[in-house]
Amino acid sequence: MPVTSRTFVKASIVYLCIGAVLGALLFANRWFPMGAAIGPLRVPHIQMLIVGWLTQLILGVAWWLFPPLQIGLRPGQTKPIRRGQQQRGSEPLFWVTFACLNLGILLRALGEPLYSWTGLDLFVALSGISGLFLLAAAVAFVATMWGRVRALGGRP
Amino acid sequence: MPPIARTFVKAAFIYFVFAFVLGALMALDRWLGFSRWLRVVYLSQLHLLVVGWITQLAIGVAYWIFPRFLKEQSPHPRGSDSLSWAVLITLNAGLLLRFFIEPFYLMGPKPWMAALLALSGVLQALAAVGFGLLIWGRVRAMEP
Repeated sequence: MPVTSRTFVKASIVYLCIGAVLGALLFANRWFPMGAAIGPLRVPHIQMLIVGWLTQLILGVAWWLFPPLQIGLRPGQTKPIRRGQQQRGSEPLFWVTFACLNLGILLRALGEPLYSWTGLDLFVALSGISGLFLLAAAVAFVATMWGRVRALGGRP
Repeated sequence: MPPIARTFVKAAFIYFVFAFVLGALMALDRWLGFSRWLRVVYLSQLHLLVVGWITQLAIGVAYWIFPRFLKEQSPHPRGSDSLSWAVLITLNAGLLLRFFIEPFYLMGPKPWMAALLALSGVLQALAAVGFGLLIWGRVRAMEP
């Protein structure tokens, strides 16, 4: 498993643990109310599990396992010459995906509860910007992976 | 595919079908008005899909395909069997507990129901942390 995928997968496991603990905290709050501060944790709970855990795990595993790009083909041969990580596509662009995705997750996960706790408009703005980072991550991921969604063995 | 992974994946399939059956009933209920229960079960149904289906499938497949430990590192190439069974049991116990209690809690909250819901959340959090511990060492390069 390449370093890029390992980073995505390990980050997703961290989000799974934090998201599940936040879920337990939200349920515990119904049993013995711990104050109004707990309710706003619903947004980070959902964000971390759906985007941080599931989406990020899928992106990391896709980068690892999808068919390699057809680069370095010799004339008359169907299998590409092995070129290590280059066969997976643009690694810098994949790191951009990672940065945008996690910035988006963290801005949203922190912005919503911080706004509820403090009432500062700055946090609404940060939460709003988070959507743009997540969009950028999605576009960068699709741009990186598009060419790898293909049949193996040189067939189109 | 090892037995534990098969159990995760088959359990995920069952939740998938069951959640869609429930979804169909919820959709019909808007038209035909079967039961009040179907109007408060939507959160549990969503949870069946996100945790019971997608998360459990991801866990089962990760357990199956992630790089295994070398023989020198561990006698269990996929990590501790007892920990993986514990993850399976706590995840599903928490999930089912929530599914059976939450709709009734939403129809008429009682402290004992809230306590059981808190327990369901703790069980699922334990499953998440257990999975993290189980798989962390296997998120590595294929070659040593």
